Amino acid sequence: MPRLLSPKILFLRIAAAALLLFLTMLLCSLVGTEEISLRTALTGSADALSPNPDFEILMHVRVPRIILAAIVGAALAGAGVTFQAVLRNPLADPYILGISSGAGLGAMLAVISGVNWTLWGRSPIAVFAFAGALGTVWLVWMIGRVTGKFHVTGLLLAGVVVNACFSAVIMFLTSIAKSQDVYATIFWLMGNMNEEDFFVLWAGAGAVGAGLVALFFISPQLNAISFGATDAQSIGIDVRRTQFLAFAISAFITAVAVSLSGLIGFVGLIVPHAVRLVLGPDHRQLLPLSSLVGAMFLVAADTVARVVVAPAQLPVGVITAMVGGPFFLILLMRYNKKVGWLT
Amino acid sequence: MRKWWFLCVFLVLWHLLGYALARRSGPAQWTDAKPDRSGAQRIVSVAPNLTELLYALDLDEAIVGVTLDSDYPPAATEKAKVGTFWQPSIEAIIACKPDLVVTLAFQQHKSLVARLRRMGYDCLTTDIWTVDDLFAGIEALGRATAREAQAEQLIAGITAKTRRLREILQDQDRPRVLWVVQREPLRVAGQNTFINELIELAGGQNAIGPTLHKYPPIGAEQVIAADVQVIIEPTMVKGDPSRQRDQALAHWHRLPTVPAVADGRIYVIDGDVVSRLGPRLYQGIETIAQCLHPDVLGE
Repeated sequence: MPRLLSPKILFLRIAAAALLLFLTMLLCSLVGTEEISLRTALTGSADALSPNPDFEILMHVRVPRIILAAIVGAALAGAGVTFQAVLRNPLADPYILGISSGAGLGAMLAVISGVNWTLWGRSPIAVFAFAGALGTVWLVWMIGRVTGKFHVTGLLLAGVVVNACFSAVIMFLTSIAKSQDVYATIFWLMGNMNEEDFFVLWAGAGAVGAGLVALFFISPQLNAISFGATDAQSIGIDVRRTQFLAFAISAFITAVAVSLSGLIGFVGLIVPHAVRLVLGPDHRQLLPLSSLVGAMFLVAADTVARVVVAPAQLPVGVITAMVGGPFFLILLMRYNKKVGWLT
Repeated sequence: MRKWWFLCVFLVLWHLLGYALARRSGPAQWTDAKPDRSGAQRIVSVAPNLTELLYALDLDEAIVGVTLDSDYPPAATEKAKVGTFWQPSIEAIIACKPDLVVTLAFQQHKSLVARLRRMGYDCLTTDIWTVDDLFAGIEALGRATAREAQAEQLIAGITAKTRRLREILQDQDRPRVLWVVQREPLRVAGQNTFINELIELAGGQNAIGPTLHKYPPIGAEQVIAADVQVIIEPTMVKGDPSRQRDQALAHWHRLPTVPAVADGRIYVIDGDVVSRLGPRLYQGIETIAQCLHPDVLGE
């Protein structure tokens, strides 16, 4: 017998997930390729005269990177929920409308053109990727609008084809670029987590947080739209406006995530599904909880990526797919009968 | 509608606050030219050729960290490891407590340098793509580590030996060389590469004309048209080169009309010596020259 979602239950679940996320982050900050002593890190002074590598590693390398992973994971999972709802397609993920190839193309152009400036501490790769991601979504959205008012199929097809075209351009650039440039981009295309500057993290957290709150505002409308555009319209929902808001906001937070860390697959696809399988499809709950679980998942995956082939590192996208895939399949087999949501 | 306005205002305020906080507690700006490096005591190298250079400058005591691919000189393998050339681990570098980190100038290393400098670590970036760059890099390393004399000596040694080789080979024909980077699909060294420089210094010429790619992928047609007299393959993996040589012979026998195949002039040489721009530069040139002019230089 499914219980109705009361504000109290929702609050308790969000609080529990947030606590779990905090604990995960705490735990992961103690794991790394170098043994560090927490006591030395926290009591030793950080002045320039006596360098304290434990403090440097903990506070300037691990913690910023873990915060970054949390921001990116939350953004991707939240955007994934929204795209799945609006496109009414279980295969939708944050990259489905061409964001990945647009961002990849931007990054590739930044590397090949060899520009060397920074914008608010961000490298040209990040800036170009951000612009490429937003530009592509805008292009796909405009094409989709021509094909019809509520026809998400047109939008999806436009996204897939733009994706394929841009991927071909990326392949072309890869084949003519200098080999060392190609290598640099390949790492970026598989997810490239680095520790970032304080302001970058602060601004990223603000943008993603605000975007997720905005998506939460429209989550009741998303519930209605996931039954179909005409049904939603018949109960008085402005479908066009909701679709536009949902696309714009999730494209924006995805672009922020991509510009922070490159392309990390799978988080935006499986985390929403996993949460939906376990807790049900109500978007008022699905959205915040998916974001928190996505953050947790990426923090854990990135920690594995940091240490598993130490002292080298794996691209985090490898871990999200290799560990996340089987885990998701187990969930699918275990819960699908109970929820019956695929039938 | 009100909640949306609240959200927008909050977003703006959040960023202003962050900007203010970042300005107040911002990291000290790091200047590129540190006035006094006067002999760094703890050096980390993140590229195998830089490791070789540091050893060549007698800095073996001062090296505290190298990458996993730094395998020459053999003593380098016993130093602490800081990740790979492509993905250096910043955590491991900091744990080495370096006072100088030497890097090359491609994307991964640039990002590493930016992050290390933000934390106040001194970095030296050497931009080594050509033989001239190599000499400039050696000089820069020498200055940074108070080893100017050794640096000068190293450069002088390489230039003297190269000049002598040029004198020996000046009356010889310049055979047309196909430098195979990868056999399937076929990729060779083009003209705009340091490999091309090495071939010319060794008394040969690149069989491949100007191309769009640095390392162009080419087809069998171009190999036949290029009238290749010598085929050289650097080894790609550690281990026995004779296996790669057998594979190379089997592969190239499909094109019996190519002069290099007909004359059996297919060579597999140690890849590390010829693909790292480092102190063993002359050794690499000499290896190539022996393939190109066996009658003059002997095997």
